[in-house]
Amino acid sequence: MFRLDPAGEGTVRLVGRLDGAEAERALPSFAALEGSIVADCSELDYISSAGIGVILATLQRLTRSGHTFRLHPVQPRVRNVFRYAGLADMLGIE
Amino acid sequence: MLVRRFPRAIGSLPLLVAFVREFFAERGWDAEHAYDVDLVLEELFTNMVRHARGGTSEIEVGLAADGDALTLRLCDRGVEPWDPEQAPSVDVNRPLEERRPGGLGIHFIRQIARDLRFEHLNGDTIVTAVLAVPR
Repeated sequence: MFRLDPAGEGTVRLVGRLDGAEAERALPSFAALEGSIVADCSELDYISSAGIGVILATLQRLTRSGHTFRLHPVQPRVRNVFRYAGLADMLGIE
Repeated sequence: MLVRRFPRAIGSLPLLVAFVREFFAERGWDAEHAYDVDLVLEELFTNMVRHARGGTSEIEVGLAADGDALTLRLCDRGVEPWDPEQAPSVDVNRPLEERRPGGLGIHFIRQIARDLRFEHLNGDTIVTAVLAVPR
């Protein structure tokens, strides 16, 4: 299961597994994000290409409107997938 | 090889995760190290669900460990020849606005797997990926 929880002004928490079964269900939650966002991914246990697609679309949308989208902190194995995708720097992943 | 059949549907993904956990538990392996296996299996399985034409209602998945190699084998019966390796490589260095998510799954597998083979025999597509045993 995957959840996107509000965590205060401009921050959200991503929790669980953002896989092919969850990514489509998560689309409305990501589409509702506005302004600059920092997403706490410390409890995001897994992401696949389907989840990366949702994150990429959100990053592109927020960037087009002059905002930022940052993921911090991110678990090491999830971080590897963002690095494979060439998106780690764009998302401020350390 | 531990073999099981799963309905040809994205909704089967939680069943695949449980299958990998069962395989790990049988060997006393820590499920904390299952990430790469989950990822390669999900990307191959979803490719079969989304792109293979024809086929039966189930996809067969096998897992085996031998020495330091872990082998995943997916068999899709009665499908048209299909080889995602023929798809163009993804350029992950393109500017943000030019990026598209398509093709990332196979790109991820290429980063992780030691070996990846697609065969089409007698109407069946068989995909074999070999990974390092998770530590």
